[in-house]
Amino acid sequence: MKISVNTEIALTYLTSRKKQTVVASLGVMFGISMFIFMQSLMKGTNDYFEKMSFTNTPHIKLYNENKVADNHMLRSFFKDESEKILINPKQLSKSQGLTNPFGMVDQIRRLAEVSAVTPQVTGNVIYTSGSVELPGNVAGVQIEQEDKMFDVKGNMISGNLLDLNRIHNSILIGKGIADKLSLHVGDNITVRSGSGNLLIMRIVGIFATTIKQVDETKSYANIAQVQGLLGKDRSYVTEIKVNLINYNNAPAVARQIETITGYKAEDWVKANEQLKAGFKVRAVILNSVIGVILLVAGFGIYNILNMTIYEKIKEIAILKAQGFSGGAVTSIFLQQAVYIGIMGGIVGIVFGFSLTLLVSKIYIGAGTLKYLPMSFYIPHYLQALSFGVITTIAAGYFPARKASKVDPVTIIRG
Amino acid sequence: MNNLALKANSITKYFHDPVTMQVLKNIDVSIDKGEFVSIVGKSGCGKSTLLYVLSTMDTDYEGTLEINGITTTGKSLNDLARIRNESIGFVFQFHYLLPDFSCLKNVMIPALRLGKLSHKEIEEKAYEKLKMFGVEEQALKKAGKLSGGQQQRVAIARALVNDPAIIMGDEPTGNLDSKNTNIVFDMFRQLSKEFGQTIIAVTHDEDFAKRSDRIIEMADGEIISAKK
Repeated sequence: MKISVNTEIALTYLTSRKKQTVVASLGVMFGISMFIFMQSLMKGTNDYFEKMSFTNTPHIKLYNENKVADNHMLRSFFKDESEKILINPKQLSKSQGLTNPFGMVDQIRRLAEVSAVTPQVTGNVIYTSGSVELPGNVAGVQIEQEDKMFDVKGNMISGNLLDLNRIHNSILIGKGIADKLSLHVGDNITVRSGSGNLLIMRIVGIFATTIKQVDETKSYANIAQVQGLLGKDRSYVTEIKVNLINYNNAPAVARQIETITGYKAEDWVKANEQLKAGFKVRAVILNSVIGVILLVAGFGIYNILNMTIYEKIKEIAILKAQGFSGGAVTSIFLQQAVYIGIMGGIVGIVFGFSLTLLVSKIYIGAGTLKYLPMSFYIPHYLQALSFGVITTIAAGYFPARKASKVDPVTIIRG
Repeated sequence: MNNLALKANSITKYFHDPVTMQVLKNIDVSIDKGEFVSIVGKSGCGKSTLLYVLSTMDTDYEGTLEINGITTTGKSLNDLARIRNESIGFVFQFHYLLPDFSCLKNVMIPALRLGKLSHKEIEEKAYEKLKMFGVEEQALKKAGKLSGGQQQRVAIARALVNDPAIIMGDEPTGNLDSKNTNIVFDMFRQLSKEFGQTIIAVTHDEDFAKRSDRIIEMADGEIISAKK
């Protein structure tokens, strides 16, 4: 490949002053590796927390909101033009369940976005073993669906969750419950519902999430058993949980489901507003730190090129005397900035990747969080490189333009 | 056929700093192709200023300038850069080589800029020019490592690499001893005689001036004699 004379001059200037070139690229390198490292850490952490929130929250939860009585019954009874006013309305003492839940499950399953749907019955219960009582709640689920949604299997510390389908009256309990009641897989536990029904159940598995409160209260049982425990019929379902292919579409799909079913559909964004707020705050902190680093690197390049130009001002004048146009001179100095940017960028990417890899090996060991969550996301690397190059071009442009405006006559005549 | 290398019509120039002062007063000068001209005069008479106007580097003047029959007055800076690259070679009192480059590269750069020949041809040509001045041994050394006389010879080789129609020198021998001055003078002589290149040199060296084809003498911004 034939390199232009401008490029040749730019490269010679860079290589004849190796120390300055290296220092300038180091600035860019640090900026870029920090960018990559912090982006990876942030994305890793955000993804982790998002995933964590999905270990006990579905993307969309459909449930029956307690309603206050309204005048619609009055209206359908008196079919006239008069205004109906309900004085002192009260909470409806209606069943907490959803009407026609399995029909709705089918309807929701047909939506294109939906990846999993599962009905659930939740009941407040008291666990008893010996003389110790412990309040909590039992979720009546279809365990395969539940596992698909929340990876229950990944949280199991002993037992087998599929035994829930094989063994009659079986239950999976949280680690907190097991510890407090001193129970193991194979032991029996007495579960009493609010309505007074009592069931002795066999423990087939113990799970541990990272959330202590969940581990100390939650248990899973087959949906039919919980319906029986609560004294309800087989169509009693308190909520329908929906997971989507892309959870970012949850708010829109939730609105759609609300329209179809007429029940309240809560998406995970609403349920986890504090999580989203945390993401936003972290993004602002991160971006300002990266901005400052790149700014400092940019000033470094600006400074070094400015010094080069003062040093080389006679050479610039002589180049212009020999017929180099202002554009050619700009190109010579801008190219130096770009090469510094690319060099720093490439080394920065390698360094940033190594740093990320190194940090991802740091053992944390809190709950299920064993290692620092770092993401290796290729767009971060491309972004980092383009930011680095843009910064260096911006930093190089002003000195380069100054160089192009050097008046050869004034310089050569002294 | 127009036989003029350069023609200047009523060139007037002012310096504005610190006070406005007229440095060139209505200068008319024409120089034939192949002519070897010396411009002499006392310090401050405006001879260097005139040279830089003629060189197209200084565009802040009144009047008109023609080089090889082309009017350069009013042309854009980029066009002028191109004209200089192609038709004018410069030799300065101080060599002004690029110290980070080898001597060969220094000579090659104007030709690479012009881009008319291949890299290899340019290299050969540059080497040939260095040989003319007896500095081919130094071709691959960094320009900064040479002695003053050698550097000046490399600088002249550089001025010649594009075979410019006009070679301009601002005290080209000002920093050289008499032996090197003679080498340079003979070279200029040969260039104007054998290759028809026009030489315009500002000089303080009376001996150098006397041996050229024509002496233009200046005083107070005017030409007082321009005898052939």
